[in-house]
Amino acid sequence: MSRTAEGATIVAASLLAAFGVALVNFANGGSVDAQTGLTFLVFLLAFGALFMAISAFAPRATPLLLPPVAALVGLGFFEIYRLDPARAGLQRWWLLIASTVAILVLMLLARGTTSILRRYRNLILIVSIGLLLLPNLPNDWGFPLRGHEVNGSRLWIILDLGVTGMQFQPAELAKLGMVIFFAAYLADHQKALREAHRRLGPIRIPEPRQLIPLVLAWGGSIFILIWQRDLGASLLLFAGFVLLLYAATGATGYLVAGGLMTLGGAAAAAALFDHVQRRITAWLEPFDHYLDEGFQISQGLFALATGSLSGSGPGLGRPDLIPNAATDFIFAAVGEELGFAGSVAVIAMFALVVSVGLGLSFRSRDTFRKLLAAGLTFVLAVQTFLIIGGVLRIVPLTGITLPFMSYGGSALVGNLVLVALLLRISHEEAG
Amino acid sequence: MNGPIRRLAVGVFVCLAMLLAGVTWYQVVRADELRADPRNPRPALSERGKERGLIVAADGTVLARSVEDPDDPRSFLREYPEGAPFAHLVGYQSFLVGNSGLERAYTSELRSRRDLTISDLVEAILGRDLRPKSIEVTIDPRLQRAAYEALGANRGAVVALDPRTGAVLALVSTPSFDPTLLLGDDGATQWELLLTDAAEPTRDRATLEIYAPGSTFKTVVAAAALDTGHAGPGTTFDDPVEFPLPGSNATISNANEQPCNDGETATMLQGFVRSCNTIFADLTVQLGAADIGITAEALGFNQEIEFEWPIPQAVWNTLELAEDPAALAQSGIGERDVRASPLHMAMIAAAVANDGMAVSPYAVGQVFDADGNSIEETEIMELGQAMSPETSLTLTQMMERVVTEGTGRRAAVPGVRIAGKTGTATGSGGFPNPWFIGFAPVDDPSIALAVFIEGSTVSGETASGGSLAAPIASTLFQVWLSP
Repeated sequence: MSRTAEGATIVAASLLAAFGVALVNFANGGSVDAQTGLTFLVFLLAFGALFMAISAFAPRATPLLLPPVAALVGLGFFEIYRLDPARAGLQRWWLLIASTVAILVLMLLARGTTSILRRYRNLILIVSIGLLLLPNLPNDWGFPLRGHEVNGSRLWIILDLGVTGMQFQPAELAKLGMVIFFAAYLADHQKALREAHRRLGPIRIPEPRQLIPLVLAWGGSIFILIWQRDLGASLLLFAGFVLLLYAATGATGYLVAGGLMTLGGAAAAAALFDHVQRRITAWLEPFDHYLDEGFQISQGLFALATGSLSGSGPGLGRPDLIPNAATDFIFAAVGEELGFAGSVAVIAMFALVVSVGLGLSFRSRDTFRKLLAAGLTFVLAVQTFLIIGGVLRIVPLTGITLPFMSYGGSALVGNLVLVALLLRISHEEAG
Repeated sequence: MNGPIRRLAVGVFVCLAMLLAGVTWYQVVRADELRADPRNPRPALSERGKERGLIVAADGTVLARSVEDPDDPRSFLREYPEGAPFAHLVGYQSFLVGNSGLERAYTSELRSRRDLTISDLVEAILGRDLRPKSIEVTIDPRLQRAAYEALGANRGAVVALDPRTGAVLALVSTPSFDPTLLLGDDGATQWELLLTDAAEPTRDRATLEIYAPGSTFKTVVAAAALDTGHAGPGTTFDDPVEFPLPGSNATISNANEQPCNDGETATMLQGFVRSCNTIFADLTVQLGAADIGITAEALGFNQEIEFEWPIPQAVWNTLELAEDPAALAQSGIGERDVRASPLHMAMIAAAVANDGMAVSPYAVGQVFDADGNSIEETEIMELGQAMSPETSLTLTQMMERVVTEGTGRRAAVPGVRIAGKTGTATGSGGFPNPWFIGFAPVDDPSIALAVFIEGSTVSGETASGGSLAAPIASTLFQVWLSP
């Protein structure tokens, strides 16, 4: 795919978003209006600028990454517009902000290359931990930056700007910082970690000393789970770390140990926390608990089943019956209105993004870039699997957003920065 | 390092494949089942306000139509201009209480196919028209309204058929209700009111309920006797006041507690015309359960009969009756365990009228596409020769005598030859269920019907098929045969 074709697909993705908005309008008796035009322009501006930034700051980057991302954002956007036009207006602003931040990241890395990330890994770790802790700021102190609790999870900060408040979920950025730190740390200690093994039959067991970072990461995740009650972020960070550890060392023992620790942590969480227990009930028997725990999952499945092969059409289904349709259940909402065809398209585009990311990691010569590309892609893949799998009852619902598609500004910023990082790695490895 | 990454990549793609399997499971394999789950409000919500096809009678009378909602130009309101007389036939389509009748049976034709279920998509790919189709019923609205009026305050049913084709000319169940009441926002409340009404207006007495047919069943026994050659109209029987039930101390007597004829002997014809239980109990026992069973099953008893919606089978239990002659004798006069719906009894009258050929009933004659082209025409479905043409001819003569000089005199219409048979079955709570089945004109029958009244509150001598059901039949014959 050439750069020109990439540009053309970005225009197509912008048209897709605008067309979706127009169809939603038609379904409600309206027609092409300012919303349609505005959507087209904002998408063209956000992705066009990102596209030009790539040409300027990462010209040898793969052209295969931005098109599926733009299409996913576009599909998610029209569904957010269908569910809540006011939120869609906010999401447009967030898209512009996310694109700007991604461009800034590309600019920054063009000056220093990704090796600066490796160099400042400890600083990045400290900043990330700080970001993770921000939501635990008091709700009601004089300082204009405050913590905020939504649905029982303490994930939000509010920046009070006097006239308007800005909500942000710092974990979305901390997630990236943690992956950068993991990749840099493992690249530096990869050799020691790999060689310090005992053999137990076919399984290579790491030296107990080498398990310390694993235990630390696990402890951190449990801490997030308890203090902020964020099951999704907790699982995501730990899974990302274990997968990277395995990628760096090839020691199956880490996977086994990590898997056991996840199960142990999950079992303990289920025993200790009511909200975890409810999610497991909802996962196993959604229809038997239709009126309480299982309502959201049941409605999601009804939505998907009613959408059937080709869906109700944009604006013609009833995804508004699903609680939190615009965030956690955006996949079910898109699946209802665009049908099986739309669901498969969404999964296929995620598969494309993941393939490009893993291919990038595979071909990277530099260990840090290899691990960073793998880590970023794993985080994206795990998040996608956890939330879509949660909607489809493959795994319990963990309450995280679907990358690129769900409503949420911080997630969009974080994920576009993730894409910028992958693009930059792609550029450097092609050089 | 590429080794582990490759293995992890395989894992990632296995996970993505699981997601594909998941959407396939819920959006394809289990889609129809979950879509139809009663807790899923989406199908009903999407049917609400959708355009549906017309239901019309052959004379152009509109029975159901969708009109634009004046408050919302993109939404449609369903209307039933003919109301209560047609309620059980046409049914209703309500997003609150579901659907019934033809609205239910023909949902796949009547609904707009633009909400794209799997089957709709296949049709769309095949280039089929997605607009709602219309159906034309074989009902004669004039006859239908007359039947509804004639039944009046009675609980009961009237079914009239074209004996040559099985086309339903009238299908009425009373009491009835206005289906439009169920469409509004208070539809659920209205539905509750109908359900708690002691007269059970939502019950379709014409097709979905089976009752003891009483003496109208003597037509079946007579047909069996004639077909087997066991007896003719002139065959004589003993004429007691009471017929002792075999193997029992109980007896069967006639409605007036008198002998059928002179107390010595009576012919089968006399027994039929005067509807004598003594004679027909005797004849039934002589014939046996099996021989009557052959004729009854040829007339559709114990068989699935095709109709616009599933209907209960008429019952003649040959095996049990063969073991129990007392029960057999009672069953021969249409009591005890024999059961048939008014629709089925009309079908029997039609078979006699149609030279012994039984035909499946149907109410929808044609299906039209949105442009008004007929795309499907119902074909006559013969059930088979239920009795020989000679038997049907003899039986017709016997039935004509019922109307000219027997229990069915009040079904007569001046100047028209009418054949019929009355019945007065024992209903629940001791109230009789009057019946009349018959057809006209005898030379070239164009209508066969069954009139049924449930639990007539009039008691005694006057609460008989001859006094209550036959006059309704007379009215309907007149309406049908008048220009």
